[in-house]
Amino acid sequence: MIIKNVRAYYAAGSGPEVKAVDGVSLAIREGDVLGIAGESGCGKSTLAAVMSLTARPPLNVKGGEMSLNGKTFSLVEQAKFPRDWHGKMVALLPQRAMNSLNPTARVRDFVVDVVRAHDSTVRPRAAIEQARERLEQLSLPARVLESYPHQLSGGMRQRVVAVISTLLNPQVLIADEPTSALDVSSQKQLVLLLKLLLECRFITRIVYITHDLPMLSNIANFIIVMYAGKVAEIGTTQQIVNEPRHPYTHALITSTLDPDLRVREHQLEGIRGAPPDLRYPPTGCRFHPRCPRVMEICSREEPPIVGEEERYAACWWVFEQSKTAGGKEAQS
Amino acid sequence: MTVATSEHASFDSGSVFLTGLRKFFGIFGMINRRLLFSGCMLVLVVGFGVLGPIILGRDNPMKTVGGLYDPPSATLWLGSDNFGRDVFTQLMHGTRTSLIIGVIAGLEAILIGLLIGTMAGYLGGIVEEVLMAFTNVVITIPSIVILILLSIAISTRSIFAMGLIIGLTSWPWTARAVRAQTSSLRTREHVDIARLSGAGTLSLIIWEILPYMLSYVVMAFVLQLNTGILQEAALSMLGLGPSNTISLGQMLHWALLWESVRTGAWWGFVPPALFLTLIAFSLLLLQASVDEILNPRLRKR
Amino acid sequence: MTRFHSYLMNKILWFALAFCIALTLNFLLPRLIPGNPVDVIVSEMTTGGALSSEAAKGVYTAYIAEFGLDKPMHEQFLRYMGNLARGDLGISFARSPARVQTLIAQALPWTIALQLPAILTGWTLGNLLGVLTAYRKGVLDRGVFPIFMFISSMPYYCLAIILLYLFAVHFTIFPVAGGYSFAMTPAPTWEFFRSAAEHYVLPFSSLVLIFIGGQSVGMRAMSIYELDADYVRYSRSLGVADNRIIAYIFRNAMLPQITGLALAIGSMVSGALITEIVFSYPGIGSLLFGSIRQNDYPVIQGITLLIMIGVLIANFLVDIAYGFIDPRIRARTIGER
Repeated sequence: MIIKNVRAYYAAGSGPEVKAVDGVSLAIREGDVLGIAGESGCGKSTLAAVMSLTARPPLNVKGGEMSLNGKTFSLVEQAKFPRDWHGKMVALLPQRAMNSLNPTARVRDFVVDVVRAHDSTVRPRAAIEQARERLEQLSLPARVLESYPHQLSGGMRQRVVAVISTLLNPQVLIADEPTSALDVSSQKQLVLLLKLLLECRFITRIVYITHDLPMLSNIANFIIVMYAGKVAEIGTTQQIVNEPRHPYTHALITSTLDPDLRVREHQLEGIRGAPPDLRYPPTGCRFHPRCPRVMEICSREEPPIVGEEERYAACWWVFEQSKTAGGKEAQS
Repeated sequence: MTVATSEHASFDSGSVFLTGLRKFFGIFGMINRRLLFSGCMLVLVVGFGVLGPIILGRDNPMKTVGGLYDPPSATLWLGSDNFGRDVFTQLMHGTRTSLIIGVIAGLEAILIGLLIGTMAGYLGGIVEEVLMAFTNVVITIPSIVILILLSIAISTRSIFAMGLIIGLTSWPWTARAVRAQTSSLRTREHVDIARLSGAGTLSLIIWEILPYMLSYVVMAFVLQLNTGILQEAALSMLGLGPSNTISLGQMLHWALLWESVRTGAWWGFVPPALFLTLIAFSLLLLQASVDEILNPRLRKR
Repeated sequence: MTRFHSYLMNKILWFALAFCIALTLNFLLPRLIPGNPVDVIVSEMTTGGALSSEAAKGVYTAYIAEFGLDKPMHEQFLRYMGNLARGDLGISFARSPARVQTLIAQALPWTIALQLPAILTGWTLGNLLGVLTAYRKGVLDRGVFPIFMFISSMPYYCLAIILLYLFAVHFTIFPVAGGYSFAMTPAPTWEFFRSAAEHYVLPFSSLVLIFIGGQSVGMRAMSIYELDADYVRYSRSLGVADNRIIAYIFRNAMLPQITGLALAIGSMVSGALITEIVFSYPGIGSLLFGSIRQNDYPVIQGITLLIMIGVLIANFLVDIAYGFIDPRIRARTIGER
């Protein structure tokens, strides 16, 4: 799956638009788990909405296209996607499973609606049977089908939602902070479930979005670090965690190693201030007002992309470093 | 490097200042036409009822100045009513009476609601159980019944008594909402800190809890004011209005009793009906548009 | 199931308590009138010149004895409760030999015939309008809806007065007063039904318009709230058909509206009191109006009791039914897990 140059803005009354995602491109190969990391407000959930084709006003997709299985569509008109893309090609694993199921319907009724939405010839009983089999394959209790959402524990509810999302074997699963509301043991169980789904080849690609880098290093093999609606750095999990290049990635990793959860979620070590107001993004590099390595050029010009397609950082400082390094190499 | 940092510091504070400014004017931007309209209407109505009689020097709405339903003329701007009293003067005084009764009822309802709600929410336990049980009983008994029974039990009903009676029946919803908010505020950090620094229960409630409910209390008052005015009108039309004085409801009462509608004397019933509608509509509109400003979730649409 | 039983018992006790308090108020408050109610009514009769002082004294003692006002309070209360248990609400002051329950029984059918259809129609149309305006912005949302919003904020009796003036007095399309032509007595004939229908249109319309307004405002807000819910977004992301999603939303937004319907039906006796006064419609409202003017306390007490019973029963049924309908509430109330 390839996504090119996505721009998605929120309309904000009469004021300027909030440029939540501004020119993001990414690619994900079969069998990969791609992690997207960043602070809250960096545009990762917006990107999730665009990729899962659920962007609705006031969020407007201004540009970008998606290619999957040899077909390419413009992301701008999300309503024009063929129906079977929703759920069969791309599926969403939402942030708050708590509210993601209709509170007044049993799980099995929803399963029937999901299956029959893509093949109306399936009998309700067959749809339920299909879900029962899937649950058993994943060693989850089949009785959850008879339950109302509120009768399930938070962790179980999120696992059930994951099973429903993947019931139609979608090509890509977009997991939007699926563990943010769960306790640690439920988080682990969900990650195990996702891994199992990959192993069983029910799904082939996961885009996993979170602010929780340690969690990401546990499941993803590629990581994209986003800041203020743009890609800051891209690389394999090893590269991002062990040799971060972008000053922002650096700060993100240092802070997430802090044992205090509160610091981990709300503060970046050594970096003051909050992510910028995306109605009025800073000129040049969007990170420059908070960057410890800021240079004069950063506030004037967009940072260059340093590196190759699957391993790069967008940063003037990295650019300078590589130039000096390159120069040194040339000298010696 | 140092220079650069200080530059960024100034950039930062500058942007904070700018955002602040934008937010500030944003609020004015939100003062939409609806808020402006309802605000102006209310100012006009209140001015009419409170200042009108003083400016025009018409202090006695009960004086007979004409015959039975004299049509509007140069001296009687809105004609006369069934007793030959000047409708325009009655309208000014009636508006004032209705507003006063509404304000008394609204204040009383808010005060009782706040008292019971904060006590139940803050103290919890058995106090909460008992107070909420009481509140639920009062909610279940229809207010019109209590209003009728109380009104007939008081043979001479002053404006003040009417306000008190009406306020006595309309506080429970406020109490419920206040209790819910108080119990969630009680566990907030700043309340804990104040408690640990030795503040008493009363001062805790006044300084740490009430300020956070201010916007709710103002909105609730607007609604209670509206309820109070309409309840007064309803009671008056049943024949249980304030004695020896005129209110918008009383005007309608007499107009109906003396057949101003069926004899086509529109000046007998149109002015009070129009004013009641105007007041009710403006208050609801005011409440809705203020709510929209305070709760951005509604703004999206 | 035992949990549900205890929930039921809890509710029954609860409403029994509310009912007792209401009954006590109903008994006590009219007796707080300075002097006593009989004083008021007899003195009014004498000043009106309808009675000589000699006759007044006779009426006075007869009334005092009839209502047992010479007895101590607790004895009066027992007597009142005893009579109530037998369905006897006592004798009307103003229409002396007539029993209160007879007067109420004459008026009540008119009120129900006016209110019940108005509530049901207004509720149905209001819900439809509310859902439609929530889904489709445009003409409906910008043009029709604000009109109903304005109407719903209007005091219902003001709309009644305006309709009466416009369509019965200014344009004489409909009759000006009553539930049927004054020249007739109620009988099951075609002429009578035609006359009753003509008299029905205006009071009915004034109530229906208000109900539609109030209901559509509530339903619209509820639907918008549900439209924003996470489950709608999630269902859409999985390609679930729009009509299925609308069915979810409708069901969830309807639940609170059913409560509203039950409560409206429960309080229908007091819901149109003033409409009836405006149109001189021969229902409970007009009876109450006349009784207040004539200080007919037994009738007033009978009517307030009737209003109270209706509201309490409706509240009780709603509480019980809600326990069954909504799994969220059911879980909370009986601890189903």
